[in-house]
Parts: sequence; structure tokens; C-alpha cells
Amino acid sequence: MTPDWLSAFLISGLFDVVMVMGLALLLHLQLGLARIANFGVVGFWGIGMYAFGVLFVKVDWPFGDPWQFLVCAALASVVAGLAGLLVGWLIADLDTDGQLVGTLGFATAVLILATTEQKLTGGALGMGGLDIPYDVGSVKDNEFLWLVIVTVVVAAILLYVWRVHRSPYGRLLIAVGGNDPLARSLGKPTFRAKIWLFALSSGAMGLLGAMYGVMVRFLDPNNLGVDVTLAAMVGLVLGGTARVWGGVVGVILSVGLFDIVIQNYLPLPREWYTQAIPVLREAVFGAVLIVVLLLRPLGVLGDMRRDQLMRRLHGR
Amino acid sequence: MDFVTQSVVLGLTEYAPLVLAAIGFVLLYRLTGLINVAYSETITLGAYFGMWLNTSFGLDFYAVLFPAGLMAGALSVATYLLIFRPARQRNVGVLEMIIISFGLSIFLRYGLQFIFGYPVRFYDVPPPETVMILGVGVSSFRLLAVASVAVLALLLYGFIQRSSLGLQIRALASDENLAQVSGIRPLAVTVLIWFIAGVAGGLAGAFFGVASAVAPLLGWRQFLLILLVVLVGGSWGLGGIIVVGVGTGVALAAMTLQFGQALYAQLALIVVFVAILKLRGRRLTEMGKV
Repeated sequence: MTPDWLSAFLISGLFDVVMVMGLALLLHLQLGLARIANFGVVGFWGIGMYAFGVLFVKVDWPFGDPWQFLVCAALASVVAGLAGLLVGWLIADLDTDGQLVGTLGFATAVLILATTEQKLTGGALGMGGLDIPYDVGSVKDNEFLWLVIVTVVVAAILLYVWRVHRSPYGRLLIAVGGNDPLARSLGKPTFRAKIWLFALSSGAMGLLGAMYGVMVRFLDPNNLGVDVTLAAMVGLVLGGTARVWGGVVGVILSVGLFDIVIQNYLPLPREWYTQAIPVLREAVFGAVLIVVLLLRPLGVLGDMRRDQLMRRLHGR
Repeated sequence: MDFVTQSVVLGLTEYAPLVLAAIGFVLLYRLTGLINVAYSETITLGAYFGMWLNTSFGLDFYAVLFPAGLMAGALSVATYLLIFRPARQRNVGVLEMIIISFGLSIFLRYGLQFIFGYPVRFYDVPPPETVMILGVGVSSFRLLAVASVAVLALLLYGFIQRSSLGLQIRALASDENLAQVSGIRPLAVTVLIWFIAGVAGGLAGAFFGVASAVAPLLGWRQFLLILLVVLVGGSWGLGGIIVVGVGTGVALAAMTLQFGQALYAQLALIVVFVAILKLRGRRLTEMGKV
């Protein structure tokens, strides 16, 4: 079933690219449209991953897979969504500094709970017992099909983002991001729009976290590092925070370059892949954020089409 | 009573560098309004610079403090001149400035591993003696760190509040245009602030590093606490930072003793501070800036 040229390593790299793409698209709604500074993406992704893991492993369900997976993933998304609702309520009326503190604080809280709640999460030792909810043959075949399923989920997120851009709700989010007090003074429900956006997008981040947990089959607090937030943010900023396809293009250029091209096709010494390349990846991502925002703040794809049109019409 | 005494002694001795780091951070925040995430790496690099001088040249810990602080200060100024000043000249927005500082933080954190290596490193210092303070055993080393931090914090406080340069710094933070009209050179004063903030962060890092280990995440692990101390205590100026910083240290020690788990204490403190942030709303950060 799996094409011969697709190695297990490449499937894993492609999975990472697709998953980060999904996170970047969701971050686009929060940061690109509504200008909510979410520096705690990993918190929402991680709470979904751990909620799924705990529900899947610790609860004795009366039914097996695939229903067990579907129920646990749905509940994990609800948990992440509720967390998003709470954090959204906390930070929606704060300025950027407060949003940074709130989201960073939430991500730290999730990391602390994953580490300290040993009975539930296994603590620093981690938690196993997760598996792909079907068996179509070899491990490679199962993982390839899982990659296809995650790609379908991320494609659905892309479609949703594309529709939001063309809907009154999307225009409301753009107004909130552009000038919140003005939108509020015109009677727009900006607070409500922001917290629902945060809840929904956080729930979807949680679903992606649950799907990642299934792919890696073992959860440990090391998964909850800042690199998840960084990868999504770099992809979005590099591609263009204002554009629907920004996250997609940016993640291909950043995560794709490292996790697929360098990891699979460059003939580098084997020992480089354990420490040097991952460290270089993060350092380069950090540098990309600085360079892009200084030299091309709108990213590779540039401004929204509607803004480009307005500039052409007004000659600015 | 034992519990209170233990909390106060342990809180003061373990978290004294946090106060120093918070004072450095608030200087930048009050002047620029920027949440500089890369400040966490100034702390980390202070620890690394001190460790490098200590282990490479065989210098005593207290002999490396001054050069380590200077190096961290120079690095802080370099980041301002090379990144934040050009960004400001290009009218980069507040959110983008924070993302830039986040990128710089990541770049420095991982970049330094290429220079100093991947393993956790340690200072080469003799084992400390235990001194009894109000019945609580404290290492002589931590005690000296508290005294050093207290002196440095008071010196910084005096410099900012009493000296003419400190007056210029406060004037620039309040109203840049008015300060410029009054003959204050914004670039020189701004560079001075970034330098002082860097020195404070670097020294805090050296104290953190010598008390435990030097690792790439050393500063990042303190950053959220520093940020919370600054946002909550910054409303009352430097004095507020010192009071809230000391209070945070004591509260962390008390909760660690109570829960038997330092991470629970941090979690509780994050919840309390974010709740304060929510209750005070936008006024909080606005007051912190002016």
C-alpha cells in the first residue's frame, strides 16, 4: 500500500510538516487576523495530547478502536477548547503584554501538570499504551494511512480558514485585529468574537496534539517544549501572517527544509542528526523570525489581496 | 513560626537573583514598553560567561562576577543596536517586536550551544559551608549571594532614583520628546539602560548558575516569574519590584515547603498573578510603562 520511495523516516518528517501546518493555520486565525498574541500554542496542543492519552490509556472503555479513538479525540478536543475558552476570557481584553503572559503562563502550567501528575501522565518517565486505531498491515502502512488522515484534517482546517477569510465573521476578526475599540464602538461583539475564536482554534490544536500522540505512541513532557510554538510561528511569519496560504508556504520552507530535505536527503555525518541538526534548526528558526520581521514583515506572500487592491486603488 | 521563618530565609536566599533580574528587566520595560523575551538569554549568557571565566582561567567566582556582568551588558547593548533599534526605526509594531525578541531568544539559546557545547556545565567552586540563620541551614555561598544581590539592587535603586543620569533615564521613560527638548541624548541614555539591564541580568544569571548548574534553559525557566513580578510590581516603581520580587521568593519557598513540590508552587503563583492581571486589566501594563 505504501509507495516504496516513502521511507518510515520520510513519513515521520511529512507528518511533522503537516501537523505544524495545521497549527500555523490556526495561529493565523488568532495572530494574523485577530492579532491575539498566542505564545502558548504548545500548551493547547499539549493539553489535547495529554487529555487524549489519559482518556485512552487510563479509562476502561466498553468499546474498542476505532470508537475508542474517536471518543477520546473528541473529548480531548473539548478539553483543549474549554482551556482555550478560559485563557481567551482571561486575555481577550488585555493588551499584547498581558496576552503574552496569559498564553505563556498556560503553556507553563500544562508542562508543570504533565510533569507532576505522575499517576495520570507518568510524569517525567512518560506514558505509553497509545496506538494507531486500526491495522491495515505493516507498521509503515499504518503510519502512512495515519499521515493521510492527518493531511485530510489539516486540509479541512485550511478550507475553514479560507472560508473565514470570505465571511462576515472573518471581516469582524480583521476589524478586531486592526482596531478593537473602533469595532467595539460600532457595536461589534469583539470580546465574544475573540474568546470563541480562541476556544475553537484551541480545540483544533488539541485535536492535532491527540493525533500526534497516536503517531509517536509515547507521551513525555519533553514533547511540550517551546519548539512546537516556534515552528508554527516561524512558518506563519515566513509565509505571511495575513494570508490564508502563509502558514502552508512558510512551514514547507522552514520545517520542510529541515525535517524532510536535510534529514532525508543531505549526506551528513550520522552523529550530526542527534544534536547538531536539531539545535541548528531552532537557531535558524529564531534567526528567520528576526530577519523576516525586519526586512519583509509581511512574509513571502505579502499583504492580504484586499489590502493590495486598496493600495492600487488609492495609489499608496 | 518555624514554617514562616523557614519560608522567609529560604525564599530570600534562593530567589534573591530573581529580584536583580527583575530590576534589570523593568528598566527596559519602563523605557521602551517592550517585553524583551530575549532578556532570559541575557541571564543565561551571564551564567555561561561566568562559568567560562571560572573554569577556563581558574578565577574565583567573585572575581568573575564583574567581567561576566560587563560581557552580558555588552551583549545587551549589541542586541539593541543591531536588532531592536533598527526595528524601531522601521516602525515595527508592538506584537512584531515581541516576536522578534522571541526569535532572538531562541537564536541565542540554541546558538550558545554551538559555542559552549551541549552538556549541562558547572562552576568550579569549593563546596560551600552551611550557616545557621534563625535555625535554618543555608549555604554560605547563597548567603553571600543574597548580600551581593542586596548591595547591587540598592546601588541600582540609588543610581536610578538619586543620580542625574538616573533622572535622565526616568525622564526619557516618561516622555521621550520632552526629554529630547531638555537636552537629554536619547541614544546615549538608551544604550546606558540596555547596558545596566544586561549587567543586572548577567549577574543574576551568574548567581543562578553557581547555585545549581549552567544550562541553556536557565534564563527561560525564570522568565515567566520575572515577567509576572515586573507586570505586578512595576506599577509602584523599582521599590515595588523589590517588594513583589522578595514576596514572590518567600511565597514560592512557603508553597514548596507546603506542597513538597516546587513546580506546584510555581503553578499556584502563575495562577495568582494571572488572576491579578485579569482583575487589573489594561491599567496594569499601562501603569507599568510610565
